[in-house]
Amino acid sequence: MKERLAELVSESCDGQLTPAEVLAASVPLSYLGVTSLAQMRLIDAVEREYEVEIDLGGDVSFLDSVGGLADWLAAR
Amino acid sequence: MTGVPVTGERAGDAPLTWGQRAIWEAIERTVPDDHYFNFGRVVRLGARPASVDGARWALARLVERHESLRTLVVDGGQRLRNSGELPVAFGTDPDELLAELVAPRFDYAREWPLRAGLVTAGPEVTHIVMVFCHLAADGLGAEEAVRDLRLLLLRGEPRGSRPPQPLDIARWQQSPDGRRVAEEAAGHWEREHRRIPPTMFHLPSGAAAQPPIWRASLRSPAIDLAAQRIAVKHGTSTSNVLLTAVTALVARTTGHETVAMLPIVSNRFRADTRGAVSTMSQEGLFVLDVEKVRFDELLALARPAALRAYRSAYHDPADRARVLAEVSEDRGEPVHPYCCFNDMRFADHAVYRDDALIRRALGETSLTWPMSQDQLNCRFCVHLSGTMDVSVTADTRWLSRAEMEGFLRGLEDLLVEAALR
Repeated sequence: MKERLAELVSESCDGQLTPAEVLAASVPLSYLGVTSLAQMRLIDAVEREYEVEIDLGGDVSFLDSVGGLADWLAAR
Repeated sequence: MTGVPVTGERAGDAPLTWGQRAIWEAIERTVPDDHYFNFGRVVRLGARPASVDGARWALARLVERHESLRTLVVDGGQRLRNSGELPVAFGTDPDELLAELVAPRFDYAREWPLRAGLVTAGPEVTHIVMVFCHLAADGLGAEEAVRDLRLLLLRGEPRGSRPPQPLDIARWQQSPDGRRVAEEAAGHWEREHRRIPPTMFHLPSGAAAQPPIWRASLRSPAIDLAAQRIAVKHGTSTSNVLLTAVTALVARTTGHETVAMLPIVSNRFRADTRGAVSTMSQEGLFVLDVEKVRFDELLALARPAALRAYRSAYHDPADRARVLAEVSEDRGEPVHPYCCFNDMRFADHAVYRDDALIRRALGETSLTWPMSQDQLNCRFCVHLSGTMDVSVTADTRWLSRAEMEGFLRGLEDLLVEAALR
C-alpha cells in the first residue's frame, strides 16, 4: 500500500518528488516541498482510491507521511 | 474584425456552478463598473511566430475544447453554445490591443466570453491577446487556456485528456455527492461563524480618506526571501507563511484573539476540477486562534487550519448566504470577516536564503499608492503577486492610510525577524 500511496503523493505534487523519494523520506512530506495545495490533491486522490472520507477537523498529522497514511487507512 | 467559425460538440443549459455563481454575484453588485472583472493575457509567440490562419485555427480549437469559453449567462443559469463565429481583432501593439479589448463590459447573455486579438508584423502573428470574461476563467483557468493555446500552435493538438467542463461540474454539484460536499463545507462556515468576532476591522479609524478606498503596495524582495527561508525552516509553503503572518498582524492591529480570513482558493484539487478553465476560485474560511502564540507555533497550527479553509472554499454560495443569515440572526448582529487574502502567485518554491541576502534586500523595499476608488465590498484585502508585491486594499473608514502603511511595514519586519531568528 505504501508504494501506491507514494505514487499518489508524487502525482499530487506534479512529479516534483518521485515515488522513491517519497518512500525514502525521513522527514514530514511538508519539509520536502509538498504544499498545502498538493496535500489537498492527495486527500482527494486517497478518498477516491480507498473510498474513505478524511475528516480535516481533527488531528491530520497522519497526512504528512506515507507511513502515517497507511496506518490510518489500515485502522479503518 | 473578422470571425473564426467555431463548432463545438454540444450545447446545453445548467444552473451556474458554485464558482460561476460567486463571481456572478460580485459582477451584479458592481454593475455598471463590472468591466473591473475583465482580465487578459498576452501570449508572445517569440521565436516561433504563427501565420494568421494558424493563429485563427488554434483559437477556434481552443474555444471548441473548453466549453467555458462558449458559455453564456442567460436567465441566471449557464447556457453552452455549440457553434458560432468568434470575432478576432487585429492590432500592431500588444498592450494597446489588450487595453482596447479589456475595456468594455461584457454582454453576458450574448457575447462570447473570450475576446481574441492578433498582433501582426507583416504576414506574421507575433502575439495573441486573450481577454476573458471572469465567468469564463479565473487566473489559473487563464493559465490553462494559454498552455493549451501554445500546444495547439506548436503541436497542432492540446493535451490529451478532456478538461472538466462547467456544464458537467454544475450537474455534479447538484447530485447527491455534490450536495454532501456542499453540506460539509456549509458546516464549517456555520461552526466558525458562531465563534469568530462579528467582523475583523470593527473600530472606526477616525481618518477616512477621500475617496474612502485606497490601495497601498509594498514592493519587498525581502518579504519573498524571508518567507522562503521560514518555509524551509518550518516545513511549510511560502503561501502558508504569508497567510499566517498576515493573520498574526491582523490580530495585532485589531486586538482580536481569533482571526478569520477569507483566502481566495483555486478549487482545482479534485480530479474532476483539475485543469478547468472555468472560474472555480471561491473564498474559503481560515480561522486561527492567535492569542499569545509565538509565530513559529502559529505556523504549525496554520497548516491544518489552511486545509480546512481550502476544503470550505468548494461550497455553494447559496448555502453560505443562508448560514451567514442564520448565524447573524442568532448572534443579533451581522457576522462577516470582511478580511480577504489573495495569493495570486503561480509558483511556491522555497529555498533557504542566507542572512546577508535578506538583509541586503531590505534596501530595495518601496511603497506606492497605486489606486483609490469609491466602492469595495470588503474592508481589508491583501494581494500577493510576483517576488514580491504585497498590497493592502482597505476601506480607510476602518483602517487609515497610515495604518495600511504600518501594516505592510510591520509584515516585512515580522517576516524578516522570524527568518533571521
